[in-house]
Amino acid sequence: MRAQSFIRLLVLLAVLGSIVPCAVPAQAQTIKIGHEVALTGPNATWGQSEANAVKMAVDKINAQGGVLGRKLEIVAYDNRADRLEAVNVAKRLVEQDKVVAIIGPAQSGVTNAIREVNNSAKVPVIATTATNPKVTVNDNGSVVPYTFRVCFIDPFQGTVAAQFAAKDLKAKTAAILYDVGDEYSQFLGKYFVEAFEKTGGKITGNEAFRSGELDFRAQLGKIKFGNPDVIFIPTMQKEAALAAKQARDLGIKAKLLGGDGWGSPDLFDLAGPAIEGSYFVNIAALEDPAIQDFIKEYRAKYNQDPVLPNPVLAYDAVLWLADAIKRAGGTDGEKLKAAMEQTKNLQVLTGKLTIDPKTHNPLNKPAVIQETKGGKFAFVKVFVTTD
Amino acid sequence: MVLQTIITGLSIGSIYALMAVGYSLVFSVLNFSNFAHGAIITLGAYVAWAIMVHFFRVPFVPALVLSIAGAGVLAFLNERIAYRTLRQRHAPSLYLMISAMGVAIALQNILYATIGAKLYALPAVFSQDIFEVGGATISKMDLFAFTFSVFVIGLLHAGLTHTKVGTAIRAASHDMEMVSVLGINLDVLVAVLFLIAGGLGGMAGVFMGIKYMVYPSMGWITNKAYIGAVIGGLGSLPGAVVGGLLLGLLEAGVSVTTIGSVHLSTYRDVFSFGILAILLIVRPTGLFGRVFEEKL
Repeated sequence: MRAQSFIRLLVLLAVLGSIVPCAVPAQAQTIKIGHEVALTGPNATWGQSEANAVKMAVDKINAQGGVLGRKLEIVAYDNRADRLEAVNVAKRLVEQDKVVAIIGPAQSGVTNAIREVNNSAKVPVIATTATNPKVTVNDNGSVVPYTFRVCFIDPFQGTVAAQFAAKDLKAKTAAILYDVGDEYSQFLGKYFVEAFEKTGGKITGNEAFRSGELDFRAQLGKIKFGNPDVIFIPTMQKEAALAAKQARDLGIKAKLLGGDGWGSPDLFDLAGPAIEGSYFVNIAALEDPAIQDFIKEYRAKYNQDPVLPNPVLAYDAVLWLADAIKRAGGTDGEKLKAAMEQTKNLQVLTGKLTIDPKTHNPLNKPAVIQETKGGKFAFVKVFVTTD
Repeated sequence: MVLQTIITGLSIGSIYALMAVGYSLVFSVLNFSNFAHGAIITLGAYVAWAIMVHFFRVPFVPALVLSIAGAGVLAFLNERIAYRTLRQRHAPSLYLMISAMGVAIALQNILYATIGAKLYALPAVFSQDIFEVGGATISKMDLFAFTFSVFVIGLLHAGLTHTKVGTAIRAASHDMEMVSVLGINLDVLVAVLFLIAGGLGGMAGVFMGIKYMVYPSMGWITNKAYIGAVIGGLGSLPGAVVGGLLLGLLEAGVSVTTIGSVHLSTYRDVFSFGILAILLIVRPTGLFGRVFEEKL
C-alpha cells in the first residue's frame, strides 16, 4: 500500500513536472508591456482611444514577427486618471505581471504619483500626454531616472510659436500678453521671448495680467504703442477670446498667436470674428498628413475617429519601446533605460523622435499649427523647430 | 497712450460705480454690507443670456429692461427670504452680513450645479463697435454703458431727493425706528430699496456680459466694486460713484506701469486692497462718508 501510494505520488510529480517546463518557454516568449490608462471616469474618452491605439501598434509589430523573435503582450489596467489608483495599478504591473515597461499615464499629476514605484523597480514609464516639465525633471534639475515622455513639454509651445512667427509669418517684432498667476502661461511666454529673440526678432511689448482679470485694454493699449507684427497670448480660451476682442476694439491689427489652451471649440462663441485668422500650437490634429494611414486603419478597426492627441502619442510610445528593446538586446531595466535615452531620429508616426538624455523629453518634437478660420480650427502644417 | 488708459479706466470704473451704488444703497439704510449683491449681478447676466441667446432672441433694449426687472425681483426675494426675519428680530447687522455671504455662495453653486461652469458670450450690440478720438479708441458699448449708468444714477439721485419714497429712504438712512414710528411701512421701503439695488446690479451684469462674458464666478468682480464703495464712503451715493471711477482709473494706471522689469499689473490687487486697508486706517468714513453717531 505504502509503495503504491509512493508510486502514485511519483507519477503525479512526473505529470506536474512535464506540464511546468512546457508552460515556462511559452510564457517567456512574450514581452509584457504594462498600460496605465483611464478607461473609466472623465478621461475615459481619451483613455479608451489610447488603449485602442496601443493594441493596434502591438498587433502590427506582432504581425511582423514581434521584437527579438518574441511577441509583445499588453497588460492594460484602468487607473481612472486617479493618483491613488494609478499607484495600485503600477504596483500590480511591476510586482505581479512583471512588465518590462509601462506606457501611460496620460496626466502629469498621475505620472508623478507612480514615480517611486517604477523607479525602484527599474521599469521605464513613457507618459503619453503629461506635458508638465516637472514630470521628468526634478526641482534640482536632475532627471527622473525611469520616467520618459513622448509628448513635448508645455513651454516648448512657446518656442514653436516664436519660430513659426519668425519663419512662416515673417514677423520681425512681437509682443506677449500672459497670466502671471499661471505657470503654464508664464513659461510659454518666457520660452517665446527667448526663442523669438534668438531668431533676431524684437520683443516690443511684454505685458502681464493677474488670473481672473477680464480687462486687458490697458496692457493691450501699451502693446499697440510698440506696433508688433504678432502678439503671443499663451492662455486658456477665455482670456484669449477677451484679449482678441479687446485688441481688435483698440484697432490692433497684429496677428494673434497662442498655445494648445486655445483649442476649445467655444473659443469662437466667445471671441466671435475677433479671433479669425489667428494661429495656435497644438499637439496633434486629425488633418496631419503623417497620420492619415493610422486614422484610416483606426477607423476600419473601431468604426470611429481616434480621440486626439492620446492615441497618436501612445502609438509612438509603443514604436519607441519596441525599438529600444531591440537595441538593448533584451528587457533588462537598466539596459532598456539606456537604449531609450539614446533614441535618435527614430521614425515614428508623428515624425522623427530624438530623446534628450538630460531631460527624457523629445527634442524638436513636431508640433501642429492650427488656424482659426471661418469659425473652425483649420490645419496649417506640422512645424518642426530647429535648435 | 495716457488718454487710452484714462478711457479704459473710466469704462471699467463706470461698471464698478454701478455696482458700488447697489452696495451703498443697502448699507445706507440697513447698515450692513450685502455681499449677495455679486450673485444678483451674475444672475442678471444669466437672465440676459437666457432671453438673448439660450431660449429666445430678444433684442438688446428689451433684454436689458427684462434683466433689470429680473435682477430686481431676485434681490427683492433675497431680502424677503434671507434678511427680513433677521431684520424684524433686530438682529445685529453682522448676522445680516453673514446671511448675505451664505446667499452669495449658495446662488453661485446653484449656477454651477444647474447651468454649469461653461462660459457664454452675449451678442454684441454695435456691429462696428469703435471710433477714434485723438489716437485713442473708444468702444461704443463702453460709451453707452457709461452714459446710461450716469443717467440712471442721476435719475436715482433725483428720485431720492424729489419723491416721497426717496425722502422716506433718506430719512430711514438716518433713523429707521423714527421713520417707522412716523407711520412709514418699513417692509415696503426695504423692498423698494432692494428692487432698485438689484435692478442696478442686473444692469451692471448685462453690461459685463456683453463687454466680457457670462460665467458663474463673474460676481467676483464686485469685490472691487465694494472697495470702490468703501473708498467713496459706504452709504454715500456720490461717494460710490466717485470711488468706483477712481478705482477703475487707478487700476488701469497700475496695469500699464512698469518699474524696471517688474510689471505693476502683477501687483494690481495689492494696490486695490492695500488702498482699502490704508483708507480704513486713515479715513474710515471714506471720501464722502458721514460720521455716524451711535444710535440709541
